[in-house]
Amino acid sequence: MKLLTATNRYYLGLSVGLFVLCGLLFYEGLQRALRHEVDEQLLNQQAFILRKAKLSGTASVLPFAEPPRIYRTRPPKLGFSDTLLLDVLDQALVPHRQLAFAVPEPTGTRWVTLRKSLLETEDILELVVAVLGLMLALLLLGVVGLNRWLAGRLWAPFRHTLVALRHYDLAQHQPLRLPNSSIAEFAELNQALTQMSARLEADYQTLKEFTENAAHETQTPLAIMQAKLEQLMQLPASADPAAAPLLGDLYGATLRLSRLHQGLTLLSKIENRQFPGAVPIRLDQLLTEKLHHLRDFTEAKELQVTLALPSVPTLHLHPALADSLVGNLLQNAVRHNLRGGELRVTLTAEALEVLNSGPALPSGNHPEQFFERFRKLRNTSDSPGLGLSIVQQICAYYSFGLSYQVTSEPVRHVVRVRF
Amino acid sequence: MLIVEDEAPLRTALVDYLRQDGYVCDTGATYEQAFEKVKLYQYDCVLLDLTLPDGNGLDIVRTLKADGSAAGVLILSARDALDDKILGLELGADDYLAKPFHLSELNARVKAIIRRRQFQGQRQLLFRDLTIFPDQALVLVHNQPLTLTRKEYELLLYLLANPGRVLTKESIAEHLWGDVADTADSFDFIYSHLKNLRKKLQEKGADNYIQTIYGLGYKLNVS
Repeated sequence: MKLLTATNRYYLGLSVGLFVLCGLLFYEGLQRALRHEVDEQLLNQQAFILRKAKLSGTASVLPFAEPPRIYRTRPPKLGFSDTLLLDVLDQALVPHRQLAFAVPEPTGTRWVTLRKSLLETEDILELVVAVLGLMLALLLLGVVGLNRWLAGRLWAPFRHTLVALRHYDLAQHQPLRLPNSSIAEFAELNQALTQMSARLEADYQTLKEFTENAAHETQTPLAIMQAKLEQLMQLPASADPAAAPLLGDLYGATLRLSRLHQGLTLLSKIENRQFPGAVPIRLDQLLTEKLHHLRDFTEAKELQVTLALPSVPTLHLHPALADSLVGNLLQNAVRHNLRGGELRVTLTAEALEVLNSGPALPSGNHPEQFFERFRKLRNTSDSPGLGLSIVQQICAYYSFGLSYQVTSEPVRHVVRVRF
Repeated sequence: MLIVEDEAPLRTALVDYLRQDGYVCDTGATYEQAFEKVKLYQYDCVLLDLTLPDGNGLDIVRTLKADGSAAGVLILSARDALDDKILGLELGADDYLAKPFHLSELNARVKAIIRRRQFQGQRQLLFRDLTIFPDQALVLVHNQPLTLTRKEYELLLYLLANPGRVLTKESIAEHLWGDVADTADSFDFIYSHLKNLRKKLQEKGADNYIQTIYGLGYKLNVS
């Protein structure tokens, strides 16, 4: 809901409530006043009739608009009362106020009833309520219109800020430029945002430098270890059957560590969005090439490899990331495949799908968990378990959709990347 | 040969390894030293670390090419620096090797660069009873042609680039399969490729000079 709609809703609610309340009070008050006025008129007429009767000794019919009726019998109720009388002209019941009283005469008591139509007072009432309703409508329209106009005018700087924020990209190293606003709140908001972006920029820079330094600083000792171990192997003493396996394991562990390190460095570089620049990538060619590289491995596992390229997407990616995405998906599908299994790669303009046979997941295992770092089905596996995390990061980087599904009977692992 | 590397332990490892193969090695630890040396001397090959404390190694490549130097250039740099790799090769470097690397792999690359420079492609490799023409991918045993699969041939060339040295299974795997080497248990493949290679060599009457070093890898015996 828009802010404007929300405030308007409250305004309207309050106004309608107040108007209904005031309208009712007003109606009631007005009706009372008018009735009081009618009563007073009737009392005046009564006083007039009584005075006249005292002088003449008889109650006489006076030429009022509605002449008094004189009865010899006592009416059921004395004093003021409301009644409905049939109007012969309109053929409708019309509300009347009536006043019944006794006039003492020498020949006995006469009963006089005075009546007055309430129709005129109702007309006044209707008019007043109509005017009031019109006022309410105009006022509400005015409030809503003013709000709308104010929203367009006063909130403009806010919308500028929003647009600027939406287009802000930390990796582009351009400071966040926000327009100055004459409204104190917006000026404050813009100032806070500018400060925040500057702080973000600084943090980002520090993190980036740290990653780069860490990569360099860790990679160098690893390179030294690897080189020195290789030198050590060339010494005659290394051929000792007791020393050689130790040396071999040490060397293997060093390589594993360095592969792990490369994976983590790549992940943090993607997270830091340090891969600007994209070129058109022919994903079909890349897939063909990668599958060719993997041929030794697919043949050794006797995999049935099918590559279907019904349509080719036009994608702009960083070449290193495209290579890593395709490489990790395919390597993963080969590594976790079964002997004599299936590997099917389908590329369409919308998606890349890699399907492979593999072990069934223990129940309760959610396949998407393999996107987590270091997550492996068997913990003894030699691979560091970063391949699919890298795939996920690359997909997040380019806003690609990514899903992992496992079907049973037969067990097929399907990783889908939607462009 | 000039070795430009700011890390002393790595530099000495490189120098030791390459000296054993009879190369005359000169070293530089900084950009300034490297710059001075490439200006003063002629080298056949320059091993160049790109991240130097006082400058970018790519500028040394530019200097070499600007001076019309005949030296082959092999760039050493941290992995994932794809832009460095592309730029380096565009500037005229002959090859690129990501750190950390196998010394045996480095040795093979250096040999390839120097041979290309010295014989302008007209070259043959001699090893005991083997003669190899790398340009035609032709292997002769006692002057009899030997038919090898692509991987067997690559394996033989890699062994020949590092005679008398222990080659680890890991470095062979990486040499043969590159980045995808860790997809499966590639050591089994190496074993079967080597078995076939040995068999083919023996059928042609060659000596069995490929030695298995228990727990480590393989070695091409010189004598």
